[in-house]
Formats: sequence, C-alpha cells, structure tokens
Amino acid sequence: MAGSRADGGGRPRGSREPPPACPGPGPGPGPGPAASPRALWAELQALLPGTREGWRLECGERVESGVRLVLQQAADLLYAEGAGLAPSPSPSPSRSRACLRLSNVLLDYAWEKLNVGTWRDVHEDWRRVYAYGCAFKALCLCRAGAAWPEALRTCDLGLLMGASVWDNVLARMVGVLQQHLPRPERAPAGDAKEPLPKRIRKSSESPEVPPIKAEERILQLHCPSLEHFRDNFLLPQKPVILEGIIDHWPCMKKWSVEYIRQVAGSRTVPVEVGSRYTDEEWSQTLMSVDDFISQYIENENHTGYLAQHQLFEQIPELKRDISIPDYCCLGRGEEDSITVNAWFGPAGTVSPLHQDPQQNFLAQVMGQKYLRLCSPVQSEKLYPHEGHLLHNTSQVDVEDPDLVKFPRFKTAAFQACTLSPGQVLFIPAKYWHYVRALDTSFSVSFWWS
Amino acid sequence: MAREGGWFQLGFRLEEGAGLEPARLGASGAIRAVRPSWSFFGLVAAGAPPVLQGALRAALPSDCRDLLPSETHVLLLREAALEARRVEAGPALDGAPAWRRELRPEEAAAAGERAAPDGGTGRGPEPRCLGSLLPAELPLVPGGYVVPRPDFFRPLAPSLRARKLALGHEHVLLLCAGGALFAWGGGRHGQLGHGELEGVSEPQLVEALHGVPMGEVAAGGWHSASVSDTGDLYMWGWNEWGQLALPSKTMAESHGATAVNAESSTPASGSSAQQESPKAAFISIQAFPALLDMPQGADVSKVSCGSRHTAAVTQTGDLYTWGWGKYGQLGHGDTASSDQPKKVCCFGDWGLVVVDVVCGPWTTFTHALPGKVGKTCS
Repeated sequence: MAGSRADGGGRPRGSREPPPACPGPGPGPGPGPAASPRALWAELQALLPGTREGWRLECGERVESGVRLVLQQAADLLYAEGAGLAPSPSPSPSRSRACLRLSNVLLDYAWEKLNVGTWRDVHEDWRRVYAYGCAFKALCLCRAGAAWPEALRTCDLGLLMGASVWDNVLARMVGVLQQHLPRPERAPAGDAKEPLPKRIRKSSESPEVPPIKAEERILQLHCPSLEHFRDNFLLPQKPVILEGIIDHWPCMKKWSVEYIRQVAGSRTVPVEVGSRYTDEEWSQTLMSVDDFISQYIENENHTGYLAQHQLFEQIPELKRDISIPDYCCLGRGEEDSITVNAWFGPAGTVSPLHQDPQQNFLAQVMGQKYLRLCSPVQSEKLYPHEGHLLHNTSQVDVEDPDLVKFPRFKTAAFQACTLSPGQVLFIPAKYWHYVRALDTSFSVSFWWS
Repeated sequence: MAREGGWFQLGFRLEEGAGLEPARLGASGAIRAVRPSWSFFGLVAAGAPPVLQGALRAALPSDCRDLLPSETHVLLLREAALEARRVEAGPALDGAPAWRRELRPEEAAAAGERAAPDGGTGRGPEPRCLGSLLPAELPLVPGGYVVPRPDFFRPLAPSLRARKLALGHEHVLLLCAGGALFAWGGGRHGQLGHGELEGVSEPQLVEALHGVPMGEVAAGGWHSASVSDTGDLYMWGWNEWGQLALPSKTMAESHGATAVNAESSTPASGSSAQQESPKAAFISIQAFPALLDMPQGADVSKVSCGSRHTAAVTQTGDLYTWGWGKYGQLGHGDTASSDQPKKVCCFGDWGLVVVDVVCGPWTTFTHALPGKVGKTCS
C-alpha cells in the first residue's frame, strides 16, 4: 500500500491513511511447537552482521539525535556485551524486554511521522526508521523464542509501510520465518486444483450484468502486434480487450483461493472494508490473508477488498506466476517503474467511477468483472467530486444514477464489458472507469507511462 | 499520604526503567512553565535561565527567558533576540544559531514583562493589549509566530489580535482577543474544525464556535481542543485513539470484551449513543467542534493535548486524561488507552490540587499544589 500511494497515482487515495499501526493481534496460530527457536535464530543470525560494529544505520540527517539514540541502543541490545549476537533463547529476559520496548518506541515515533502530511510527502528516512523498528521488533520476538506469527506480521508491516533497509532484510527474514512456521494444512494432493466452486457466492446484493448494447461493446483482439496496438489504441487512447496474451502465465492454471491461502495465508495485507471507497462507512484495515479469505471470500456478511496493493513486491512467490505484458515496452519508463497491483475480493466489490493518471492493463486471472468506461473528454458530464481528495472520482453512482441531481450524466457515452479470465483490458490514461466484481475475482493491474 | 506540591511528569521517558508513577521535577517550586519536546523538555524558572532535562541536558544562555523545543531545534527567547539552535548529538547546544532575529527595545521590554513570574496558576488576567509588540507567550512573537523548525518564523496579520497560539503536527490554532478561534494548515483529520478535510493555507475562523468566546486553546498531533470562557470543553480532529473522548473503534477492537465490561460499570460518563448502538457509533474523524460532557458536568479551566492524548484540569482542581496511554501518559498507573475522560487519582490522594497541565507528545506534565481536595477517588 505504501508504494502504491507513493507514486501519487491510481485510484483516488488522498483521504486514506497508512493502515493503523497496531491493529490487535489476529487469532493466528500459536508458535510452532515443532520448530526449534535455536534453529530459527541461527538462520536469522546468518542474515545479520556478525558483530555490532558491522551494523550501519542507513538514515539521513533528518532523523533526529533522540531517535538515533534509540536506534543505536536497540542494536546494542541485540548483541551480547562485546561479543556477537546473543544466543537464543535470550539469556536475559530484561534485555529482551528492553529491546522490545525500544523497538516499539521506534515504531510509534516513525508511525507519527508517516502520518504527517500526505503519504507521498513522507520522507523515505521515516519509512526506514519504521522498517528498522519492525526488524528490531521481529528479531527481539524471535530471540525471546516465541510469538513467531507476530514476528512475521511485524515484518509484513515493515514491508507495507517501511522502506528497504539492510538489503531488504525484512523480506529475507520473512523467507526464514515462513519456513519455520507451521504451514496451513495442505489439501490432499490433486485437491489443490479441485475447484473451489468458481462462483463461491452468488451475489444477491449486486445486480446481474445489465445488457451491453452493440455500440457500447469494447473491441476484442487476439494478440495484436505491438505496432497495431500502438497505432490503433495506444496513440489514439482507445480502450481494447486483448486476448491470448496471458494464457501462458502460470497463475492462469495455478491460482485458486486455496492456492493463495497456501502461499500467502499467514501474510498481513491491507484490506478495504465497505463496498466502495466513497462510502462513509468505508475503512482500511490490516489482516492476514487467511482471515481475509475466511471473513470476506467465504462469508458474505460484509464486503472486504484486497485492493490496489503491491502484493507481488511483498510475496515474490506469487510474482513468479505473472509477467509484465509485452505491450508495456511501448511506454517510456523502465520495467521497474511499472506499478503492479493486486485486486482480490468477493463478488460485489465496486470501484466507483474514477480515473487514474497512467495507462493501465487490467489482467483478469480469476472470476469476472463488469466494467464501464468513459472518455476523459466527457469529464464534465460525470460530476467529479470537488476538492483534491476525490477530484478524480465521479459523484454519480453509475448503475443507479441520480439524473435529477446529475442531469448531464444522461448524455455521457459509455463503453462496457464483462472481463473474463484470460482477458486484459487496456484502460488509457485518465479514462474514467467503473468496476464491479461479478464473482470471487482476482485481477492484476499494470500502471505504466 | 500528603506529598509536596510542584510539577510532575507522567509518561514517556527515553531512559529505561522509568516507572508509571508521576515523577516530581526537581526545583519544582521555582518552575514557571514546562516546555516539552519528545525526548527532552525545558523548565522555565523564575530568576534563573531555563534548563533542559531528559535526553538533552544542555545549558542555555543566561539571558534566555523562554524556549520552544523540538527534536531538531530549540527556539530561544533571549533578552534582545529570538534564536533557533540545532539539536546535535551530544549535550552541546552551542553551535551557531540556525536562525536569529533581533528584537527592538520595545519588543524586548514587552517580552521581559511577559516572562516575569505571575505565579502561573490557573488562568491569568487577560494579557494587556500590546499592539504590535510581543503580544503573549511563545510561539507568538512580535509580528507573527515561531515554529521550532525551519522556516522558524511566520507572520500574522496584526488585525487578528493574536492572544494564544498552538501548534499541531500539521495545523495551527490561534485564539484572538475577544475569544474568536482561527485554524489553518493540514486538515485531513478534521483538526481544523471547519467541517471538511481540506487544508487551508491562511487563518480561517472556526465558524462553528462563532459567538462562544474561548479562553484556552490546545493542539495535539492531529486533534484540537478549546475551552470557552464559561468552562465548556470543545474537541475536534482525529479520534483514532480516543483522544476526543468519543467512541473509538481502535480502542474497542484492541480491548475487546474488557472495554465493554468497563463501560457498563462506569456510570454515565460515556456518550449515550455509544451505549445504545456500540457498533454504529464509532467516530474516527470529528470535523466540527464537539462539546464534551465532562464527568459530573465539571467545568474546565485548562486543556492540553499530546500527540494522541488529551489532559484537562477542572475548576475544582481535578485532572482528567484520555486518548493514547501506551507510555503511561494518562497517569492512571497503567499503559491502557481510554476513549472516555478518566480522573487521575493520585494527586487527590496526595492532598494536591491540580492547577495546570502541559502535554508533551507522549507525556503529561502537571502542576499540583497542596490545597483543599474535593472527593478523592478511593
């Protein structure tokens, strides 16, 4: 989430906060009884400098001397006096307590800095301090020989809101922790692909797809050449559905709700609660993928949406299942300047009519989504919200417009489609789009310039 | 049971092993004001230059009369100048000033007058109208106000007749002669009280309080408080940790069942809306000033806000706190947070009456004196 906000683009997020610092601990599994704290600590130790002198805190001068002192003291506490890393379980509980306290001080202090001003104005130094706090805290927890799920959760918070420190130590710690955590029970072999019913919940609250008129349909093309795409769609900024370009992605065969649970179940992710971000009741929270699936995918009491999250940066195992569409090479930027977001949720999630600043390929992996698109030329018929927070979002409910309040909306010309697995929709920059999931859906968006 | 009066510190201390008991500050008798930063604080005493305590213990120039500290800079009001010094690692604070402005003789005289001891108990008399001279205490200075970080000085229109000014993390509150309140700066958490979440760059009247003259004002990290001349407390802004004493979702979730139990056993101090429908009534952002019903309808004389907590002194000398309590800053002997005003019991138990309160980001400093104590907690 951090990164997705940092680029200043995308779905309007001005009013959003970084997720709460300390949501209550989830009901995750207890510490794995089978794995040994000593073995885990040995592996974590291998990721860290062998001596205290080897630690260099990478933070700029905007980090004040008071906080630097805390950073230094926390590092001191991880090392036994004058020697290498203290063994685990720690010989000194008071040392562990002190280390945990200082980690929390760092997290609380950095959290306040992360919440001053808009997210994109937050200096990377503060995101580094936050990451240090997470790393220290997770290390303290592991050295104390318990609470590994909390350690993993702490690392995830650092990955979500922090910046990379010590050669991305948090990601490397996650790698170690995941091997030591008891894995969720895997379904018997062969069962993993056994369909969870494609349509896990029939959405009573979301109406079926309205009929799409012939003149509204978006053109579908099978593997057009780069030149053809550029000349006929990219340059004139026209939407098009591309087919056959992601069939070879491993995710098309591998992914299911169960697979995502297996790979990512214990990971902490940001979740939007409430059916659309313009609602009063809408909020964001952090929870494990396990909890998200059981509360929102398998259960239809509320709408929760794992939306606009750079999941693939957080979980490399899933990143290997997708690629960057070749057509992105027509853009100006390097490949690593492309923002890849995951959108995973139940039927009925809605992204209100809005526009994003960049070109977008929306690749549908699981389930179906209903979309309506409108050219930026017609913006004035769409009544964007006033004020900078939601200025790129329309006030009109596309599927139930109030034409008395928004009379010009009637004259806006829309295109529409139902996007199915394997299809990739090109949404030109600034093009208005409205999205509603028709069933349990996983989409991947690529923002590029 | 009875203890000596003075200034007491509650909450965060950088050094380890600090307990949850209020710590009485040394040389308490002479302290005229406490100026907290996050890891250290300044003590302004009568008849001696201010001193710094906590993680930074630097000596200050002998002609220093008042100060405004932050973690990066300490702003000094000296006899004939305003000066900002950068906080460096180590105890010294004697580098070249990062910013300096000479005071004209008449400005300096006004500053001296203001800094003279006035007892510091309760609300003093209305400051005399000093025209364009130094009108009141820091951060107000002649012609504007100072902030303890670059760019250090910002002008204010003389027509505002500034009386008191409070700095939040992103916003500024100004109390004017006549009791009108202005707010500007960042507004994403409703901390401006204008009813929306947009920021404003110029001072803008908080219209919802128009016609209710205010006597006190305080800015937290992302929340705001003011006290009317009649002792009513208004609060607005972010309520994530219950710092507005409105029902907070974060609090309910982190406390789970215990919070609910505590509520039902606490007589009538919570809002009734909360008890009727506990799920629907959570408030994260309050964009208009909301009148806070203090327990027993107590009138408030002083209010101060930390980053995420609030402390108020009643006219009967009780201290109430609420909001984020992780570092013991609420003074209830624990590290719990609270989204309801809770009376701090220890001072009454010690035979002390609270007369003043100043919050640092994660701390609460109170001035308590021997006096006639009303009902104690126990």
